Amino acid sequence: MLEMHHVTKVYRTELVETHALRSLDLLVKAGEFVAVTGPSGSGKTTFLNIAGLLETYTGGVYKLDGEDVSNLSDNQRSRLRNQKIGFIFQSFNLIPDLNLFDNADVPLRYRGMPAAERRRRIEEALARVGLGSRMKHYPAELSGGQQQRAAIARALAGSPKLLLADEPTGNLDSQMARGVMEMLEEINQQGTTIVMVTHDPELAARAQRNVHIVDGMATDLAMEPALIHATTPIGATTV
Amino acid sequence: MEIRPIISTLGRHRTAALLIVLEIALTCAIVCNALFLIGSRVEQMTEISGVAEDEVVRVQLTGIGTDENSDALTRTDLAALRALPGVKAATVVNQLPFVSSSWNSSIKLKPNQDRPTLNATIYMAEEQFVKTLGLRLISGREFEPGEYRNFSELQGPGATTDLPVAIVTHRLAEKLFPGQNAVGKSIYVWSDKPTRIVGIVEHLVRPSLQGGPVSREDSIVLPMRTAYSVGGNYLLRTEPDRRAEVLKAATAALRANGPARIVLEKNTRTMQELRRDFYRQQRSMAWLLGGVILALLVVTALGIVGLASFWVQQRTRQIGVRRALGATRGQILRYFQTENFLLVTAGIILGMLLAFGINQLLMQKYELPRLPWYYLPVGAVALWVLGQLSVLWPARRAAAVSPAVATRSA
Amino acid sequence: MFAYYFGLALRSFRRNKVLTALMILAIALGIGASMTTLTVFHVLSGDPLPGRSAMLFHPQLDPQNKEGYVAGEEPPPQLTRFDAETLLRERKGDRQAMMTGGNVSITPQRADIAPFRVDSRYTTADMFVMFDMPLLFGHPWTAAEDEAHARVVVISKMLNQRLFAGENSVGRTVRVDKDSFTVIGVLNDWRPTPKFYDVFAQRGYDATEDVFLPFTTSRDLTMDRSGSMDCWGDNNGDRTALNATCVWIQYWVQLDSRDKVDAYRRYLTNYSDLQHASGRFQRPTNVRLRNVMQWMEFHHILPSDVTLQMWLAFGFLVVCLLNTIGLLLAKFLRRGGEIGVRRALGATRSAIFQQCMVEAGTIGLAGGALGLVFALLGLWAVRQQPVDYADLAHLNPVMLLLTFVLAIVASLLAGMLPAWRAMQITPAVQLKTQ
Repeated sequence: MLEMHHVTKVYRTELVETHALRSLDLLVKAGEFVAVTGPSGSGKTTFLNIAGLLETYTGGVYKLDGEDVSNLSDNQRSRLRNQKIGFIFQSFNLIPDLNLFDNADVPLRYRGMPAAERRRRIEEALARVGLGSRMKHYPAELSGGQQQRAAIARALAGSPKLLLADEPTGNLDSQMARGVMEMLEEINQQGTTIVMVTHDPELAARAQRNVHIVDGMATDLAMEPALIHATTPIGATTV
Repeated sequence: MEIRPIISTLGRHRTAALLIVLEIALTCAIVCNALFLIGSRVEQMTEISGVAEDEVVRVQLTGIGTDENSDALTRTDLAALRALPGVKAATVVNQLPFVSSSWNSSIKLKPNQDRPTLNATIYMAEEQFVKTLGLRLISGREFEPGEYRNFSELQGPGATTDLPVAIVTHRLAEKLFPGQNAVGKSIYVWSDKPTRIVGIVEHLVRPSLQGGPVSREDSIVLPMRTAYSVGGNYLLRTEPDRRAEVLKAATAALRANGPARIVLEKNTRTMQELRRDFYRQQRSMAWLLGGVILALLVVTALGIVGLASFWVQQRTRQIGVRRALGATRGQILRYFQTENFLLVTAGIILGMLLAFGINQLLMQKYELPRLPWYYLPVGAVALWVLGQLSVLWPARRAAAVSPAVATRSA
Repeated sequence: MFAYYFGLALRSFRRNKVLTALMILAIALGIGASMTTLTVFHVLSGDPLPGRSAMLFHPQLDPQNKEGYVAGEEPPPQLTRFDAETLLRERKGDRQAMMTGGNVSITPQRADIAPFRVDSRYTTADMFVMFDMPLLFGHPWTAAEDEAHARVVVISKMLNQRLFAGENSVGRTVRVDKDSFTVIGVLNDWRPTPKFYDVFAQRGYDATEDVFLPFTTSRDLTMDRSGSMDCWGDNNGDRTALNATCVWIQYWVQLDSRDKVDAYRRYLTNYSDLQHASGRFQRPTNVRLRNVMQWMEFHHILPSDVTLQMWLAFGFLVVCLLNTIGLLLAKFLRRGGEIGVRRALGATRSAIFQQCMVEAGTIGLAGGALGLVFALLGLWAVRQQPVDYADLAHLNPVMLLLTFVLAIVASLLAGMLPAWRAMQITPAVQLKTQ
C-alpha cells in the first residue's frame, strides 16, 4: 500500500540545510495498522506530510498503492489525496463554518460525486461513528471526542484505502481517546490500511506494528528494538 | 519607536502593504486634483464683476416682430423707468455680465496689423451706463455727452463706423499696454479708424466665460446707445431692499409704455440671482467634487481599518508574546500607529507624483492651470490625519490583547 | 461545483457580515458613480441619427479676407448666406438644406393667452426628409414653397398642444411675430441628441425648436436670428443680407455613397476655386466635408465637465477596487487554515481559485445590484442639475446590463490576486487557531 525507499527531505534556507528525513525506508502492506513513533523533531511530521502527498520529497522513491508519486503534478496529487487517502488530525481540523454533514461533504465534492451518492455515504459514515443524529450540528457545538469522530467520518466517507492519523487522540482525555482508538481498530478490521503517528507508547502498542523514526530514519521495531531511545533531535520541525 | 522591525514586518506582508500604499496614493492624487478643481471653481464663483450687484436689477423684454421706432421707444422707456420711485439710475445695454449672449470684437494696436492682438467683449453704453452698473473709474474720464451715438445710425447701408473714444478695464489696459498709462492710447476696434482710450474702470467682466479665466476682464465700453430691440436688456439701480419692488414697477411701466411687448419673466431678475444661476453648474460641480473627496476618504479609511484589523488579528499571539515580554499598551499602540504612518507616508510620496501626473493630463485636455504646490501639503496632512484616525480602533484592540495569550497553545 | 462554491460564498458572507458589507458598499459606490457618469457620457456622445448620420455632411468653405490668414487653418464652421444659397440652388447632393436658429413671438388667437416667445428654425424643405423628422399631422413644405417665400409653418407637438389643444391643426392659422402663417405640419416628438445640426447655439443639447418655417420667408420678415455669427471686413448694415461678409448659416447635405462624397468634395473645391478666381474668396481654397459624428467630434460637443466627471468616477472605482482587493486578501488569508484543510482533503489549486473567484463574483453581483440603486440615485441627481441635458439622463437597458457586467468584471479582477494567493496556500495538517 505504502512503499518508501531511501526517501529524503532537505529544507534549504540561505544559511542552513536541514535534513528532515535522511533516508527513510518503510513498507506498509494493505490492511496493516502501523504506528509511527518518535521523539519531537525526529521527522514524524515530515514523514506524514510526504506520505499524505502534502509535501514533495527531495530524493528516493515513494509508491502509493503501487503508483510512483515522484513526478505527479500538484493537481494529480490533489486527486490522489482525495481518492485514496483519509486524514485524521490531532486538532480535528473541522471547518468551523460548516455543519457535520457539510464537513464530511468536502472531500466528496472535490471528487465530483452525484448528490444522492454523497448523501448516502455521509449518512452512513456519520452513523458509523455514532453521530447520525447530529448531522446539522456545528463543530463548536460538540465535545472533543465527538469532533474527532466527525473528522473520522469525514475521512471514511470517501472510503479511502489509506487512513493517515496524526496524534488522533492528542487533544482528548483518556476515555475519549480509548473510544477513538477502538473505532480506528474497527475500521482497520474492515480492511482500511491505517498509518498513525503518535508519541504515546501505550497507543502505539495497540497497533499491529511499530515503526520508530529517529533522526530522520525509520527503524522497524520488530527488527531492532534496541534503538528505541537513541535520539538526537535536529529540531527543524516538530510534530 | 524603532522603525526597522516595523519595516521588516511589512516586508513580509508585501502584497497587502503595497495595496494600501497604492490606495492611499491614488486617493491622495485624486483628492489633491479635486481640491484644486474646487478651488478654481470657487475662485470663479467669487470673482469681482465690477457691477454693484446688490443694487442692480434687470428687465428683459422683446418686441413682437421688428420695430421701426425702437430708438424712440427706448428713450420713452428709459424716461419712464428713471421716473420710478427708488430708481437711482437706469440704462439699456446690449449685454450684461452673467448672461451668456455676448458681442465681441477683435482688437488691434495698429490698423494694418495682420493678426488681432486679442478678442474683447463690447459693452454698448448709454449715458447712465457707468452710474447704473456702479463701475469704478480709476483713471481718465467718463464719456462726454457729445460722444454718444445711436447704434442704429452705424447700422444703415453706407454708414461709416467712427468710434473715437472707449473705456476699458484695468486688466485689459495692462494687457494692451503693459506698464504704461493706457489713457490717451489708441486701439482699433470694429473699424480701421483709431479709437482712443479715455478712461479705465477697475473691473468689468465679460458676459460669458468665453476665452477662459484669463480673458474674464477683456471688456471694452463704447459710447453707443442701443435700442431695446438689441438684446432687450434694461438695467436699473436701486437700494438693495427695494429691488423686488423696483422690478415689479419696472415691468409694469414697460408694459404700459408703447405697443404690446413680451417681458421675459424668467430673465427678469436681480443681478445676484443672475449670478447665482450663471454659476449654478460650477457650484454643483464643486459640490460633486466635494462629495467624491468625502467618499474617497471614507472608502480609504475603511480599507485601512479592514487591513489593520486583519493584521492585528493575525498577530494576536505575537502581540501577546510582546506584552508578556514587557511591552506596555502604549508601545503596542504606537507600533501600529507608526506602521500606519509609514504606509501613509509611502502612499503620499507616490500620490504626489501621481497628482502631478494627473494634473499634467488635465492641463493638456482641459486647459487647466498648473496645480499650485500648496495643495500637496494639504492633501498630505489630510491623509496622515485620516490614517491615524482609522488605525486608532484596530491599534487599540491590539493594545488590549492580554499577555496571557502567549501561554495559550497555538 | 458552481452551486457548491456559491453556497460556500454565502456562508462566508454570513460569517464576516461587516467585512462583506464593506466590500459590497465599496464596489457599489464605485459602480454607482461610474455608471452615473458613464450613462451621461453615453447619452451625450451618442449618435443623434442612428443609420443616417454617416450620410449627412456639413461642408465648409473659407470665404474670409486675407487679414490674419494662416495657411492650413480650419475654415469657419458655418457658411455665408451667399454660399449656402448657391450650394442649395446647384443641388449637387442627394438632399440638402440651409438653416439658422432664431426666436419668434407667437400671439395666440385666444385672448386669454398672452403672447410668448419660442425658439424657431428657418430652414429649407429637405431638412424634414433628410433628418427623418416624424410628422404627427400634415407634411413638410416643398422646395416650391421655399421659392415662393410661402407663409407656412411646421410647429412642434408641444406648441400644437398649447395653441390647438393637440388637435390636428393643419390648415389653421398661427400668428408668428406680426404675420399670419398656415400650419402645414405638426412635428411629433423628435430630439436628436446631441443637437448636431446647430452645435453653437446652446452647447448642443437644448430642446428642438417649436417653429419651423422657410428660410426665405424669415428673411422677408427680418425675423430675429440667434446663434453664433462671425463677420470680417467692414460690415455695416444688415449682417444677414445676401452679400454680407458674415458666416452664420448651417448647411447639411445628404450623400448616399462614397463616390458621391468624393464627387461632392471635388465640387466644393471647384466651387471655391471659381470663387477665388472671381475675387470673391481671397484665401486659397480650403474646404472641409465632415459627417455628423466627425463634425461633433471636431467641435468637442461633449461638455468637458462630463468627461472630467467620468474619469473622476473611474478613479474612484479604482480606489474602491484596490480597497476590495485588500479586504478580499485579508479575508481569504484569514481562512488560510480552512483552505489548507481543503487542500489536504483533495481540493486542487484550481478548485480553491474557483471557490475564491465565485465568492468575489458574488460580491460583485451584490455590489452591482446596490450600485444600480446608487446609479439611479445619481442619475436622479443629474436630472436636478441646471444643465440643458439634465432631462436626458436616464438608464437604458444596455447601460443596466453594463452595470452588472462592470460590477462582476471589476470584482473578478479584484478577486484575482487574493484568489491566486489563496491558491498558493499549502495543504496543511494543522488548522491554525485564530
